Amino acid sequence: MGIISLEKRDRLIWLGRYTERTFTLCRALSRYFDHMIDMDENAYKGFLDCLGLPYIYKDSDDFIATYVFDLKDPNSLASQLSRALDNAIVMREELSSDTLCYIQMAQDTLRAGCHDSAPMLILQNVVDDLFAFWGSADDNVVSEDCRTLMKCGKYVERLDLYVRLGYPYHDIDKETSKLLNRLSKVRFAYNEPAAKRLIGLTADEESYHANRQQILNLLCSVLA
Amino acid sequence: MRNLTEHADSINRLLSRYGVKFGIYKNQTFHEQLFPFDALPRIITHDEFAVLDKGLRQRVDALNLFLSDIYHEKKIVRDGVLPQEFLFASKGYLPECEGITPPAGIYSHISGIDLVQAKDGGWYILEDNLRIPSGASYPLIARELCRRASPQTFRQNDIVDNRNYADMLRDMMDYVSAPGMRVILTPGRYNAAYFEHSYLAERTDSALASNADLYVEDNRVYYRDYLGQAQRVGVIYRRLSDEYLDPLTFLPESLIGVPGLMAAYRAGNVAIVNAPGNGVADDKGIYYFVPKMIKYYLGEEPVLKNAPTYLPFYEEDYRFVMENLERLVVKDVSEAGGYGVVFGSNLTAQELETLRKTIEREPRRFIAQEVIDFIDLPVMEDGQQVMRKADLRAFVLSGRETRVWPSGLTRFARQKDSFVVNSSQGGGFKDTWVLSR
Repeated sequence: MGIISLEKRDRLIWLGRYTERTFTLCRALSRYFDHMIDMDENAYKGFLDCLGLPYIYKDSDDFIATYVFDLKDPNSLASQLSRALDNAIVMREELSSDTLCYIQMAQDTLRAGCHDSAPMLILQNVVDDLFAFWGSADDNVVSEDCRTLMKCGKYVERLDLYVRLGYPYHDIDKETSKLLNRLSKVRFAYNEPAAKRLIGLTADEESYHANRQQILNLLCSVLA
Repeated sequence: MRNLTEHADSINRLLSRYGVKFGIYKNQTFHEQLFPFDALPRIITHDEFAVLDKGLRQRVDALNLFLSDIYHEKKIVRDGVLPQEFLFASKGYLPECEGITPPAGIYSHISGIDLVQAKDGGWYILEDNLRIPSGASYPLIARELCRRASPQTFRQNDIVDNRNYADMLRDMMDYVSAPGMRVILTPGRYNAAYFEHSYLAERTDSALASNADLYVEDNRVYYRDYLGQAQRVGVIYRRLSDEYLDPLTFLPESLIGVPGLMAAYRAGNVAIVNAPGNGVADDKGIYYFVPKMIKYYLGEEPVLKNAPTYLPFYEEDYRFVMENLERLVVKDVSEAGGYGVVFGSNLTAQELETLRKTIEREPRRFIAQEVIDFIDLPVMEDGQQVMRKADLRAFVLSGRETRVWPSGLTRFARQKDSFVVNSSQGGGFKDTWVLSR
């Protein structure tokens, strides 16, 4: 359709954010899960620390069962994905059914996998579905505005999580470039001073490490 | 056909993948569930469909003439065909729509006519849905998926392609539209038929809007885009009820309507699909008079029959209903979705007495019908064929011409011997094939 209302603009940005949040956290969790096998059973606490989440899980098994699959936990992956779907469902006419269905499939996979003995394999399938979602969006979503809005949300979220999870500088540099490239294409007003400050703070590795909290604050405001 | 049914599970998985669901509220909580699909289709022969096509077009044309008459001259009342006190007691009659002529003079653009086929092969109309009939999207997407699952079934059978529904809908919307864009107005994500709203928006290339996206200025409707620019709206396929449509005209407490919409509509600056006020024509009590309307407006004999119906409003019918209540089905005219339907044969003596007293107190509120022993259709259940009651919702679109969609939503009861086919009460659905020869 291509004519996007103000409410839908926000929906698209949040669709990008929640989809990316699920995607990046699934991949990050894979590394923590591996540690939890035979190196450090409590490695998940480090993950929670990075994200500023409370220790509400009894042990590592409870963490996997609840943080990954439980919709009643507002921080869980299941909840993030559910919010992605909530935002996607109302955008069917822009996204196309063929694109939307990959988020639906990711959710179906996660729901069906809650009793599976191999949660890592479930997360891999979720990641695959979300990869397919973005591929399909590039291929099927006609409106460039629509794709740009989603991707702005996606890269803001990705940068936010990478900073929180302490990813290396070259990842931050790469993702900042992607975000700025997207912002250069938008036709809506965004917080240009915040974007300029972001460029400054991520200009080199030293500045990145010294200003992580400020970078997070700027990411909150850049699309406001 | 066997090849198709062998893939039933795959088709249902695909339906799940595309989020083909409907919502229901249970204990004040929203639940979204899959609409169970049975791969065995209902098959309507070419000759049978020719009769249905003629009868449905005739019925919808008469209903459109009735709506125009009721909101203007009321000749049918003056000529004594329909009693005035009966008509104006209808909750669907909206004085606010008096004198309004919608764009192109069409009131019921999308009519969902529910029929059943009796065991003698004859078709009976059960009810007319002229407000916001839903359900076309389900067989539409199911056909697409069935073709993927079993191409040979569609190669080997002469089945009319039903995938033109969105084109028919778009053509109709464009025909009645004032200058401007197409919009499908939804009450939101938690409406029972939200899947349909979003799917039809996608397929007709319309904007799916909530009331927050629309505003009225100088009796014109605009869609506000994210850059703050106003796009004129020419036609709104609204999926919310009349009473919530415009808080300045109807319920002032409506939070999902568009203030000023009715003024824009009255000025002829926007088409509303279907027109507000149509409820007067799909009132279950008015249904009784539709065959008379066909004769009155078109001078023709009805091609399709009503189920034998009694109006307790009339003295003679009242006596008959009271004497035969235990074998009739009684319907509350103000209910929909299979609610308010009572089979006398299922009631205890005390319950029958209570119902008699209610009818005595409010005769206009009920109609009574003979129970039509409609045919069972085969349904696959746990790998076995079982027989279940099924109805058909046919869709008739009125634009440049009146056209019957060569398909329809076949709903079936999932419980043995149950007559209740509504999705909200656990029914499933089938595709409806019309054979091309």
